[in-house]
Amino acid sequence: MVGRAVTAALAVETIKLNRSLALALALIAPGLIGVYTLLNALRVGEPREWDLWLAGNAFIWASFMLPMSLTALSALMAQMEHSPQSWDQLRALPVPRWTIYAAKATLLIALMFLMSMAVPMGIAAALVVAGWIDPQAIATGRIDGAATAARYARVSLAGLLIAALQFWIAVRFTSFVPAMALGIGGTFFALVAHSAENGVFFPWIMPVHTLSTDPAHAGLAMSLGGGLGGAVMLAAVVHLASREQR
Amino acid sequence: MTLAIATRDLTRRFGDFLAIDSVSMSVPEGVVYGFLGRNGAGKTTTLKMILALIRPGRGEIRICGRDIRTLRLETAALIGSLLEAHGFYRNLTGYQNLDLTRRLLGLPRAAIDRVLEITSMKEDAGRRVAGYSLGMRQRLGIARALLGSPRVLILDEPTNGLDPDGIHDMRVFLRELPERTGATVLVSSHLLGEVEMTAGHVGILHEGRLVAQGPLERLKAELPARLRLDVSEPERAASLVESRGFRVDRERRGLVIDLVARDDVREAAGLLNRSLIEAGLEVFAVQPEPRSLETLYRRATGVRIEAEAA
Repeated sequence: MVGRAVTAALAVETIKLNRSLALALALIAPGLIGVYTLLNALRVGEPREWDLWLAGNAFIWASFMLPMSLTALSALMAQMEHSPQSWDQLRALPVPRWTIYAAKATLLIALMFLMSMAVPMGIAAALVVAGWIDPQAIATGRIDGAATAARYARVSLAGLLIAALQFWIAVRFTSFVPAMALGIGGTFFALVAHSAENGVFFPWIMPVHTLSTDPAHAGLAMSLGGGLGGAVMLAAVVHLASREQR
Repeated sequence: MTLAIATRDLTRRFGDFLAIDSVSMSVPEGVVYGFLGRNGAGKTTTLKMILALIRPGRGEIRICGRDIRTLRLETAALIGSLLEAHGFYRNLTGYQNLDLTRRLLGLPRAAIDRVLEITSMKEDAGRRVAGYSLGMRQRLGIARALLGSPRVLILDEPTNGLDPDGIHDMRVFLRELPERTGATVLVSSHLLGEVEMTAGHVGILHEGRLVAQGPLERLKAELPARLRLDVSEPERAASLVESRGFRVDRERRGLVIDLVARDDVREAAGLLNRSLIEAGLEVFAVQPEPRSLETLYRRATGVRIEAEAA
């Protein structure tokens, strides 16, 4: 029965994305990295290795675009219910309340991974287009698909803690302001303090630290982000499902 | 008598504010129950407690004999609800909105066709909800509430914001609902006229307390007969009438007099008319006051509706 409820709730959350701003954002955010790559490749106008582009832009994704996208995406997904005041209708249904929140959280995490995986694809497509427009702007060498996928997967895994925090606040408060303030504040401090000695313990810097050349450091960032992220998300679902919503 | 909804001693505080005070509702099966009260009386809070959306501080709630607090899933399956905020996704069509609830309830697709038929929404179901009128959204909301073939239907202010035609359609629709669906309908409203024309049973909530409840016709029949007098000097007339042992309400449109016994309207009218004329007052009209829900509400709550309207 629980399995059916979870599956149904996931399907429902996916259908809600249809023609939604959240879906538009999920498509646009990785696309922007592609557009940036295209413009940058044309500006540079000389051959560069694939991996240089993929690694360089992974930093931009991890440090800025991922946290900001998670801020906006979680707020938009929560506003889907806050705005039409649909929480009461959902919570009155004979389904376990936690499944409603768990489905939304799962979809947010899935979108984060898909967006992250779309980034290198967007970069590759942009470089192909750049090579057509200006043969000098061609990418050289070969793409290490597995390493690239692993790199962006690590970034996503470490981003789980940001996703959990943003989700909790965005769903807890009807106004989108607390969630936006948290996300903008977190991203700002991550940008100005990303090289701080203990920066790896700051949730919004964790994805960047997974790109470290020191495997132990990258592993720590990934474990912290992923482990704490999972725990915080679980706590968020339990809290949101059990609280009284007035 | 089997009760579709029964609450006992339901109480809820928000901080120091006592929002609901020992409410014991009895809604028999198969009726339209009008839950009346002015805005802020506590109707929505009560409905939210019945739906287990907020917790009572004290008291008990039973839906068709089941305790919703201890058996929430099983009991919630017996209820369909339309709350004041419809909670529709404007980016989706009416059909897609219903489909979301259908999937959560684990129903076949035919369930959607059935409720669209009942609510006459079949033709508009393919349009996006963003383009719906308020009346269409209300009907779609009722369609959604009917999806699980509930035994109890809870509708919070379903005529709010509707135009006169929409109100008329909703009234007819609600009256027919128990017969068409077999459900008991609890409809909250602050509109006396609507409830009077729709409901067979009423409950009147005032400042968090249930001040009257029962079959509407019985409650009205229990009201004392009243006479309305239009006289030249209302204050002097009122003193005179009170000196004869009657209770008098002074209203803008004249005096309204309670008659203790129910079958003495003609006799009392004659007596009062004679007394007032002998006292040198002019009597323009003496007429029996109809036993209406408005009178019932006024007596139960002590609220002067005429004064409120003014």
